[in-house]
Parts: sequence; C-alpha cells; structure tokens
Amino acid sequence: MISQVFILSSQGDHLIYKDCILMHYSQENSLDLYLKLVGITILLSVQCPQRNKNLNFIHVRHSGLYWVVSTKDNPSPFTIIEFLNRLAALTKDYCGSLSEKSVRMNFALIYELLDEMVDYGYIQTTSTDILKNFIQTEAVTSKPFSLFDLSNVGLFGAETQQSKVAPSAAASRPIVASHGEQVRKNEIFVDVVERLSVVIGSNGVLMKADVEGEIRVKCYLPTCSEMRIGLNEEFSIGKSQLRGYGAAVRVDECSFHQAVKLDEFDTYRILKVCPSQGEQTLMQYQLSDELPCAPPFRLFPTVEKDYGSRLLIFLKLRCDLPPKSVAINVSVTVPVPKGSLSLSQELSSPEQSAELQPRSKAVLWTIPRFPGGAQLSAVFKVTLGFNAHGLYSVRSASLLEVGPISMSFELPKYTCTGLQVRFLRLSPTQPGLSQRWVRYVTHSDSYTIRI
Amino acid sequence: ETNKLYCTSVKCCIFELKAELNSDKKEKKKEAVKKVIASMTVGKDVSALFPDVVNCMQTDNLELKKLVYLYLMNYAKSQPDMAIMAVNTFVKDCEDPNPLIRALAVRTMGCIRVDKITEYLCEPLRKCLKDEDPYVRKTAAVCVAKLHDINAQLVEDQGFLDTLKDLISDSNPMVVANAVAALSEISESHPNCNLLDLNPQSINKLLTALNECTEWGQIFILDCLANYTPRDDRESQSICERVTPRLSHANSAVVLSAVKVLMKFMEMLPKDLDYYGTLLKKLAPPLVTLLSAEPELQYVALRNINLIVQKRPEILKHEMKVFFVKYNDPIYVKLEKLDIMIRLASQANIAQVLAELKEYATEVDVDFVRKAVRAIGRCAIKVEQSAERCVSTLLDLIQTKVNYVVQEAIVVIKDIFRKYPNKYESVIATLCENLDSLDEPEARAAMIWIVGEYAERIDNADELLESFLEGFHDESTQVTTQQNTQVLHKHTQNTPDSDNPDLRDRGYIYWRLLSTDPVAAKEVVLAEKPLISEETDLIEPTLLEELICHIGSLASVYHKPPNAFVEGSRGVQHKRLPARTASGESAESPDAGQSVGGVSDAPPAVIPSQGDLLGDLLNLDLAPPSASVPVVPASMQMGVDLLGGGLDSLIAVGLAGGTGGMPAGLGGTPAMGGGLGDLFDLGGGVGMATGSYVPPKAVWLPAMKAKGLEISGTFARRGGGIHMDLSLTNNAMSIMTDFAIQFNRNSFGLAPAGPLQVLTPLAQNQTIDVSLPLNTNGPIMKMEPLNNLQVAVKNNIDVFYFSCQYPISLLFVEDGKMDRQVFLATWKDIPSENETQYQIKDFHLNSDAASTKLQGSNVFTVAKRTVDAQDLLYQSIKLTNGIWALAELRIQSITPNYMTRLRTRASLSLSASLWVQFAMLYDCGFLEGLDHFVVFP
Repeated sequence: MISQVFILSSQGDHLIYKDCILMHYSQENSLDLYLKLVGITILLSVQCPQRNKNLNFIHVRHSGLYWVVSTKDNPSPFTIIEFLNRLAALTKDYCGSLSEKSVRMNFALIYELLDEMVDYGYIQTTSTDILKNFIQTEAVTSKPFSLFDLSNVGLFGAETQQSKVAPSAAASRPIVASHGEQVRKNEIFVDVVERLSVVIGSNGVLMKADVEGEIRVKCYLPTCSEMRIGLNEEFSIGKSQLRGYGAAVRVDECSFHQAVKLDEFDTYRILKVCPSQGEQTLMQYQLSDELPCAPPFRLFPTVEKDYGSRLLIFLKLRCDLPPKSVAINVSVTVPVPKGSLSLSQELSSPEQSAELQPRSKAVLWTIPRFPGGAQLSAVFKVTLGFNAHGLYSVRSASLLEVGPISMSFELPKYTCTGLQVRFLRLSPTQPGLSQRWVRYVTHSDSYTIRI
Repeated sequence: ETNKLYCTSVKCCIFELKAELNSDKKEKKKEAVKKVIASMTVGKDVSALFPDVVNCMQTDNLELKKLVYLYLMNYAKSQPDMAIMAVNTFVKDCEDPNPLIRALAVRTMGCIRVDKITEYLCEPLRKCLKDEDPYVRKTAAVCVAKLHDINAQLVEDQGFLDTLKDLISDSNPMVVANAVAALSEISESHPNCNLLDLNPQSINKLLTALNECTEWGQIFILDCLANYTPRDDRESQSICERVTPRLSHANSAVVLSAVKVLMKFMEMLPKDLDYYGTLLKKLAPPLVTLLSAEPELQYVALRNINLIVQKRPEILKHEMKVFFVKYNDPIYVKLEKLDIMIRLASQANIAQVLAELKEYATEVDVDFVRKAVRAIGRCAIKVEQSAERCVSTLLDLIQTKVNYVVQEAIVVIKDIFRKYPNKYESVIATLCENLDSLDEPEARAAMIWIVGEYAERIDNADELLESFLEGFHDESTQVTTQQNTQVLHKHTQNTPDSDNPDLRDRGYIYWRLLSTDPVAAKEVVLAEKPLISEETDLIEPTLLEELICHIGSLASVYHKPPNAFVEGSRGVQHKRLPARTASGESAESPDAGQSVGGVSDAPPAVIPSQGDLLGDLLNLDLAPPSASVPVVPASMQMGVDLLGGGLDSLIAVGLAGGTGGMPAGLGGTPAMGGGLGDLFDLGGGVGMATGSYVPPKAVWLPAMKAKGLEISGTFARRGGGIHMDLSLTNNAMSIMTDFAIQFNRNSFGLAPAGPLQVLTPLAQNQTIDVSLPLNTNGPIMKMEPLNNLQVAVKNNIDVFYFSCQYPISLLFVEDGKMDRQVFLATWKDIPSENETQYQIKDFHLNSDAASTKLQGSNVFTVAKRTVDAQDLLYQSIKLTNGIWALAELRIQSITPNYMTRLRTRASLSLSASLWVQFAMLYDCGFLEGLDHFVVFP
C-alpha cells in the first residue's frame, strides 16, 4: 500500500514527510532524487502515477501544495488519490485554511492525523467523527478568526453584505475550536455546487451540455445531531421518472455519501444525515444533454479578412440567464492564428478588458459582471506578422485557426439543474446560537463554442 | 515562533534542544520535541538526541507521548541499542488502562524494525489481539503484518496467523477489514499456504462485513473477494448481486474494486442469462461518473476503461459522448479519451465521432491534433462504411494547409489506400499538390509510396519521384528505402517507360544496388503488402486478462503486469480470469497429461471385413490401378458446416476419453510394447529429425484379418504435400497383384491423389514400401474421431477394410503464419467461452526449441513475449480446409506443469482432436506446453 506520504510546498520543500513502512532498503530520500531529476514544475503537467526507481509516485494538488504518496507494490491509485484528497480536506478542516504557512505551523497536528489515518500503509479512517477521539494536538491559526475581517471576501460574499450571505471566511477556520477562542460559533453550511460543460457547434446547435453537481456540507456543530435537508419535491432521477406537475428538476445519476440515510428520500426527497465535523460531500449528481434551461451564454461570432494582414473578429455575446441572476468573472478566450502580432479592440464598457496572450496566441476578453438578459459586443482586429516564408498573409487557412472559443464564468446563487434546498432542519435543535447557511453556485467547467 | 521550529543551524539547535528536552516544564518539553520532529522533517539528522527524547517518553501527557513515539519510529532503526531503552516503556504502555495508549504502543513497536525488540513484542501483541477495545484489536491486527515482514518465522511459530484468522469473524467491521488486509498481504508473499481459506462460508462473512465497514475497509474486503473463484455460475451471480450496490459509492476506489470483482465473476456467467445483461447495464453509469472527477482520477479511470472496453465493449457502447474531450482537459486525458473513442467507434456513432475528430484537428496542441488526424484514419479502417466520409474529412483538413495536419493526413491516407486499394485514388491529385510542404520522413515516405503505387494513374509520376530523388542523400533511411522500392516498382511494372535517361539510370543503379537477381527483386518489391489491421495497439489477450484481474491497481494504469514493476514479486502467481463453469460441473480442467499417460493399451482399431459399419465403403467402386480416382471437390462451406455441426459428443474423446483419440494416432502401441518412455525415444529419433511430425508406422491391418496381407503405415507431410506411407507385406502363400486403394468419406476430404503404385506383384514374404500422395479434394463426412480414416484395399484375393487415424498436423499448411496484427484482432474476436484449458506436465524444452520444432509441423510462432520466467508463444495454424487455429503456449522454466486452454468457435470436436494431436506432439518432444487454443473458421 502506501509507502511514504509527502506534503510539498510549491517550491518542492518538504513540509510533511511520513515513512509509513520504514523503507529499510534505502536511506536516501527517493522523492528528492526524483524531483531533482524532473523538477517540481513537472508535477503540474504530468499524469500520475509516475514511476521512478522501483517507486510509484501519485500526487494531487490542492491550494498550491503537492500531496504525494509513493508506493512500492501494486495498490489502487484510486484509493491513493481519494486518500490524498481526504487528507487535504481534513488538513483544511483541522487547520482552518490550507496554505504552506498553515501546514508548517500545524505539522505536529498533521503528523498526528497521519498516524491515525494510515497504519503500515493501510488506510484506517478519514472520518472526523472517529478521528476526533484520538487527536490531541490543537490547531494553530495564524490570526484569530473574526467575522468582521472581510479582507478576503470572495465569491459568496461579494454581492450584498446586507442580505443573508455568509462571508466566505466563515467557512475557513478549524473545526475544532482552540481553548483560547471565547465564542464558539455553531454554524453549518450547505453548498450546492454545479459545474457546467457545454459544447455549442458552429451552427449554433447545442451539441453537448453536461452538469456535474454536488451538495457539500461544512459543519462546525460540536455535537452530532441529525440534519434533514429537503430538496425540491419534483426532483427526479433517470430518464423515465417524472415527479411533480411542473417542469421537473431532473438528473441522470445520483450517488450519496455512505452516512446519508435515504428512507425519506424516495417519497419526500429528504436527505437525513448526522454530519461529522468538517466538510463532506453528501450527494453527487450528473445530468447530460437535457438542460432544463437555455445555456447561459450565446455567442454570435463573425470572422473576416481585412485588407492586408488583418483579421476582423466580431463577437456578440448574450447572457440568457434570468434577469435577476448575474454572471461574474466572465472571460472569453479566442484562439487566433500563430502569426498574430498585435490586437486592437472596441469594447462596449470600460470595466471590460481584452488582451492578446502572447504565448498561447489567444485573445482574452474579460467581463467582471454580466447581468442576465444583457448583450455585449466586441470587435477585435488582429494583425498578423511575418512567418518563416515571408509575409503572413491572411489566407483561408488563417480563418480556420480562429477558434474554438472557450468561456469561463461563475454564476452565484444559481443552479443549472434548478436543484434547491427547500429546508434545512436540525433535530434536536442545537443549544445556543446556531446558524444555517445555504449557498448555490455554478462554475463553468468547459464551455466551448465552435466557429 | 514558526520560524524557530525550522531553525537553520544544526549544531546550535542540537545543543539548545538537548537543554529544552531535559527541562522540567511539560510545555517546554513538548515544544522541544516538536522542534526535533520539525528538523527531522526537513531532513536534518537529530539522532544524537535519541536518549533525551526517550527520556520524555514516560509522561502522562498523551500529546507529548505521541510526539515521542513519532520520533522513535524514525530513528529506532538507526539506533538499535538505544531503542532497547524504550522497550520497557513500550511493554508498560501495552498494559495502560487507556486504549489509546495501548494501541499507540503496539502500533509503534511494530514499526521499529529492530530484531531485539521483536522478541519483546510477542507477549504484548498476543494480549492486544484479544483486547476488549476494537481500536486496540485492529491496530494489533496490522501489527501482525508488520511483524511478519520483519520475522515471518516468528509470526508462524507464535501462532499469530491463527489468531488473525479468528479476527475475520470479529464483531467489529474495522477489525475484520484490517485482519483481511493483513492476511492478504501475508498470503501474497506465501502463495501456497492458503491463509485466507476462501470458501462459501468465509465469503459470506466477508460480504456481511462489507455492508458495515468504512469505505477503506470495503476496499480491502472487495480486493480479497476478487481473489476468490466461485464454484459455479450460481454462486458467482449471488456474489455479484451483493457487490453491485457498491457501484454507487461516492469513493471511486470502492467503485473500482467492485468493478474488478464484477468483471472477474461475470466471466463465469452464461451470456444468455438475463442477469448478465442487467449487470452489463449496471456497470456503465459508475464508469461514466468517474469521468466527472478531477483530472488525476479521470486519467487513472480512463486507463482502466480502456481495458474494460477492450474486454467488454458492449458495456460502454452507448456512452461515446462522455469521451469527447473538453478544451480544458490536460493533454494526457485528451489522448486517452481519443484512444477510447476509436475503440468505441462503430457504424452507429461514426458520424458523431468524425465531426468531433474534425474539430480536434483544429486545436492548438500539436500532439493532440496529430493524434486526432490519425484517429480519423483509424476510423476509416475500422468502419468500412465510413471510409469515404473519413477520406473527405481528411481532404478538408489538407485544405487548411496547416503543415503538420497535411503531413499527418497523408500518412493516414496511405494506410487507407492500403486497406481499400483502388478505391479512393481520385484524391491523389490533391495530395500531389502538397508535395512541397512535406518535410517529415514519415509523410515523405507515405507520399512516395502513394506515387509509386498509383504510378500508372499519375501522369507525371516520374517527375514527382524525381523531385524526391533530388534530396536522396539527405533523406532518412525510411524515405530512401521507400524511394528505392518505389522506383524499382515502376521499372518492374514497366508502365510508363521513362524518357528521362537520368531517372532510368538511377533506377538501374538502385536495381543493382538492391539485388542482382531481377526475379528476387520483383518478389521483394511487388510482394503482397502486409495487411492493415483495424486496431493497432490492442493488448495481447493473456495480458489483457491478467490486467482485468488487476483493475483499479497501478498495473491497470501502466498496462503492465505487476511483476513487471513491483520489486520482489517474481514467481508470484499470474492472475487469471475464471473459466466458465455451469452449476454442478467440476471447475477443474481435465488433466491432459494424465489422459495421455493412461492410453497405451487400447487396441488398434480394425474394422472387421464383414461389418455393416462400412456400408458406404462397400458400395465404392474399387477401380483398378489405372483408373483415376473419382474426385468430388469439397466446397469450403461444407467443411465449415461439417465442423460447426455441434457434434459435441466427440469432446469426450479429447477430454476424458483421451484413449479414444490417442492410440490410433500413435498407431498400435501394444505392438511396439509401448510405454510412454518408448514414445519419447521414438519422438526424439523419428519426429524431430525430419522437421514435420511423423508418427511411427503402425500395423493397420494384421495379416490374420486380411488373408495374409499385412498393412502398416503412417502419414507424413513432405514438400507441402500429404503422403500416406504404406508397407505392404505378403504373409500369404500366394502372390498378390492388382492392388487398389480407396478412402471412405472423411472429415477433411482426404483422398488418394493417384493410384496405389504397386507395380510388381508382391511375392511371398516380400514387403514393399509405397508412398501414396493424398489430396484434400475428396468428399467430406464428419468422422468420429475426427481424424479417423476408413480405407479399403483391394488385391487379387479380396477387398479388405481397415481404419486408421492421421495426425491433424498433417493438415497444417505451409502458409499458416498469420500477421501479428490480424492475430491480435482475431484472438480478441473469438469469444472466451470458446476456450478450454488443459495442463501439460513435465516438459523440458525451452521456448525457442519448441518454436523451431513446431514450425517443422507448420505451427508458426507469430509473436513471442517474455514475462519473468514465462515465455508466451503466440502461434497460428491453418488447416487445409481454411480453418485457422490460434494457440498460446505458456512456457515456464521453473515448474514443469502448465495450465493450458482450448478455445473453439467452429466446433468443439475439432478442437478436441487438435488438442489430442498437440498432446501427442508434445509427448514426442515437440510441444512444451499449450496454453490457449482457439479455433475459428
């Protein structure tokens, strides 16, 4: 099974190193040799497992840190990747946030966690419920958590402070409160996160639309009490099943965390769970090809030859979200011919920007905020330079090099499937102040428009 | 304060730390140990602090204790003498009232690989294995595995293995899971001692624990289940039913372990079973779900899916869309998806696939674009109906004039031309326009090939070729070879006589360069092109099966068997898929070696002359020697029908009743006083020398049954022809004349190709040897055994009837060597139910010798692969009636016994006979071991 576990900084320094089976045959550190050979940046671009000198390395990347396992025999890479992901999640749960600094400060805690999680390379447990019985070390946080410190408010807090939106920092503190902390906050966060993949053909036809979603719970409640999460009653699974009268909220496939009790799910669409402290994914679901709504963005591109060595690209971008919704951090990437030299653009508002990425030869158009129902247009004039054979004139081939266009964006407070949490009940009710938060977000996973 | 932990100077640190470790204050001690461990992490040597740290061990502060134990684990190995100092505390801690401390002590002790400590470990470990707290028990279970790694003998002597086995029935699922994991690991290093003792009862226990375990425990248990071989299809189904719910688990490792169990046990289910179809349907969604995970997981999932698609394409045949690449997939995921797309491509989805591939060909990443263009070519070759569409797509891509796209497209168009000759030559003009842009050797070579091949359709072919010749000296060998052959090609075809003396001269120079013998040159240059296979990178079947048994492991990602990359695993058993067994039948394969051994005293089959059995034969017109033998040409179809006739009764001959097939083939064993030992000698003397296998002559017709005429004989294959070598002896009182011979209808249409040439009368006590050439154009009738031949011989006295059996190797033709790619594709094509397995015992030749000898009998080695101590020979055989047989021979140099398998599509009886034949060849020292045996029409 697992021979060694490493946590490396982005520079390749060891933050944590645990030798699970005490590799008696070699004293020298195999990973160091390996990294010396290939360099730390290689981990960014290669698939795992990687093999070097009788050892197999499997790594994942979280928060700029590399989480690496080496093994000698023939274990399941799935087990190891899942384990590394859990390790990263648990480290985050226990240390509050995940960074080189927090790992350095909490190395003793992480060693203790690792000791309980892996014995002789066999994974024992990754559940906070079990682990909390064993863990002695307290987490060290860089600064005391304060609800009023909104310096790194991100997505979830960006919109309106008045509304009932939790500041994003609220969910980044250790699950086990240190003794110094006076007020314990009993909070629970339920996040519905969806990732959207869309391919729109050159004729404007929707060729592929997939949604992968999950319901995540982050729990700060000290004691276990049962939580009931009510989903839309018309939620239906599979192609044939249909519930409710109106447009059903439909997914193709659903899988659940093993702690979730489903006895009320079939009839009432209620998930029952006693959440462990920390973060868990309660439910994952997929939907392919049949989005209940139009894809959020439509693009109408035109590419023309200008005189001489110039390409003209007209883009008209429409946001088909409901008017109340808004897309943020929208960016549109338009690959342009290799010989592109410079770009001049006409954009409709000053907060937008566009630039020619010199290395990847693509035009990047960014729109910080894009309300539903709005339409934006842009004109890009790309000048082509010389190539080895002389002037790079605009041929029909150059037109073919333009595209496919890809987009990335975030849609806060919006789910593509229409999945909603109707209610969130705790029973018995937690003593003292307990706050429940439900948050929705849709990210673009891969949004491609062919031209 | 953080920075202090990561102090830079070592020496000052050690000093300071020493002082702090010996401080009275608990907090200070704790901080000091933390600093020590921090230094350890960044690779500093803090072993000098060992005694001071050990001193901190005796504390009631659990946090501090844990830190000290952490330090001990790392340094005990390098400081064995010091480690002894800690033993007392260990032993004491094992008795601590706090289960956390008991477990901590036993866990750490097992990690300290110091022999002296292990002695002290036994007693505490024994207690902990029976501890009241499950947390301690599960830690102790793992500790047994640790101890076993240090001192296996000690573990066995102390009886820990039995205690561990008892823990499988523990009430706590966590303990069960760890016990299973420990036992699995121990039994891997001792494959013989059957530690896990998997039987229906223990399997039932495991399946029950499966439902209660943590996700990680479920993985151990599922992996353990995968090693079990159910007794029959019913048991297999019931296990599958209980494992299936794991497929919807959120942990992908649990899902993959479940998939492994199902893929393996499915092998045992009959395909017409409803449940089989249900199971196939259930496997698709979890595999699809894996593709929505992060790229790391996606990649390992895709590598596994690649195997599953090769083994059971039906599972994912409707899921093509999920393999379409996303623009933000990492390149390694894209390439893997592309590969699977081609494997899944079929007539039903080809339009969709081509549209996608065309899009990919315009992407940025050059490697990916190239592979996408190649993929279009592979689609054309795989799905014939799409070829035209593929070609036009490729032409579109050539129009983009993007240099590497054009070159890649030309390379694949060449392959399409080879697969479908003279079909798409209309595109040649477009290709020729792009000559100038070709700067890669492979593309240039492809273009030259096209120009040469279609020279008569290209007006200026000479000019084009000439333009390539200008750069002749700069070209890589790939291109020059192609140039040479193609220029020669043109000359030998003599199509457009070149007016250009320069080109002609050059051509002649190459001509002389290549060969002085024009006939040979023509053979070389205009030889048949090797077949283009549909799928170029199929995994060899045995490897594929083994990898299926390792689904979800590293082996399935590397596509290599574990012993190819795991150190110290040599000699570990290769895993195999279970053979299909219906309920009630024995799962054990018949032992062919024994049946061969128990054969010797069967009497030679002689048909009594008055028997009605040969009604057909009696009606035959026995013509005088001068008359030509009537020849009824047997159509191929007849042959196939005959053999496909489902005459399964004969299998008994090949399997249990090897006696039926053997003796006749060996011919009158008793007459030769035959033990097997004799056969070996004979084999060495007779068979091996002549190349092709020739059984020793046997008495077919004893004199007493034929009025004094004794006929003995054998069969041989010489110079591509089949011969019946007869010895006729006259034991009668009178002279014999007017010999004639006739065959009854037989399985392969064997018939005399000419009259029996006994020109002079056969005098009293005279023996004459006659060689009768045979052909296979005679009438066909299924015989039992298949290789039985009924013969009538006439002389001036009477007509005599006898039957004999010919070795099937007689029918192996000389052009039976299959192309490697075709072999792989065909093998994959034959359903695995058509495979039977046998074992051959005691053989002594290595694979090369076996291969050479078998080649003498027209059993051709297509490919050879060596894995560890095993040689795998892939062999092909073609019979006279066009039936091919594929075999895999597994030759192991360590043990003399092999599993062998027999696979049939056409007819079980044919393969059974073939099998008998092989067993015989083997006995004569021809064949070392036969593993796969596959027959198909």
